[in-house]
Amino acid sequence: MSSSDPHAAHATSVGHHKLPWYQAHHFDDIKTQVHAMRLGMWLFLGTEVLLFAGLFLGYAVYRWLYPATFQAGAAQLDVTMGCINTIVLITSSFFVAWGYHAVKMGERKKGVILLSFTILCAIVFLVIKYFEYAHKFHEGMLPGKFYTFTGINLPGANIFFAVYFLSTGLHAFHVIVGASILAWLTSRVFKGKYGREYHVPVELGALYWHLVDLIWIFLFPLLYLI
Amino acid sequence: MADKQQMTTGSHEEHHEVHGISRYVAIWLILLALTVLTVVTGKMDLGAANIYIAMAIATTKATLVVLFFMHLWDEGGVNRLVFAVSILFLLVLILGVFGDLTTRIPFSLPNSGPIP
Repeated sequence: MSSSDPHAAHATSVGHHKLPWYQAHHFDDIKTQVHAMRLGMWLFLGTEVLLFAGLFLGYAVYRWLYPATFQAGAAQLDVTMGCINTIVLITSSFFVAWGYHAVKMGERKKGVILLSFTILCAIVFLVIKYFEYAHKFHEGMLPGKFYTFTGINLPGANIFFAVYFLSTGLHAFHVIVGASILAWLTSRVFKGKYGREYHVPVELGALYWHLVDLIWIFLFPLLYLI
Repeated sequence: MADKQQMTTGSHEEHHEVHGISRYVAIWLILLALTVLTVVTGKMDLGAANIYIAMAIATTKATLVVLFFMHLWDEGGVNRLVFAVSILFLLVLILGVFGDLTTRIPFSLPNSGPIP
């Protein structure tokens, strides 16, 4: 495959000595490496979609079996908090896209500030989620045998809250992981590791963060609204 | 040598078109507007249409995020293919399970009550 690529053949003839720190020697050139990095990230994001697919399927099946229960369950959730969290995540996605753009343009200081705003949004999201969870713990809307809520007298009510906790819980875990990755990337940008000439890790971290936003875009209407 | 590296990095940059942030701002505003729209339509009682409207808005928002925030609009073939295939398998999973569920005899379902 690489032999058909004129750039690759050209770079090989240059030799492997004195490569920049970010280029691995087993790639023909930086273009091939960047291509492989992006492809690897998209493959990972594909598996992430399939990971959440199981939970979305569980939601769909039980909603089909217990439509009235799921509507009654959705009415128990706080639409205002869910809506604020949606706006927070969409805004964080915007900040990370802008932050990546700034790093790519060589504006490192701006990049660090924007990536920090993204992490701040993640923390706001988790704090709001904490208040939502605390309320539900208090009301006994817990999954499985811990379910003690008596407000919905329909079959399958505990299943709605099990689906709610599993899907938002897995999503919240992704928020924590995504924010940690962004924090690590931000410190690397701050140290000057990434800038105009090399910024692919920031791009891939941003992709992960956008996926977290993407999943919430579906979870919010499914759980809170309908 | 250093120039050579600079040049190759630059060439992938050309491939990845450089836009200003105005496009990100536009997408952000559209996403916020669609969020308001989904909350408003979600509060209306439209019967069975509610879920279809909500899913249509969510899919539109997701498409905007994938194409413009995640750069698949500018990105070349294989990354698009990978993501499209994962969505395809998500649909296969849902269609397969619902094909089974909707064609079962009623009392094999958990919500059908006692067997007559």
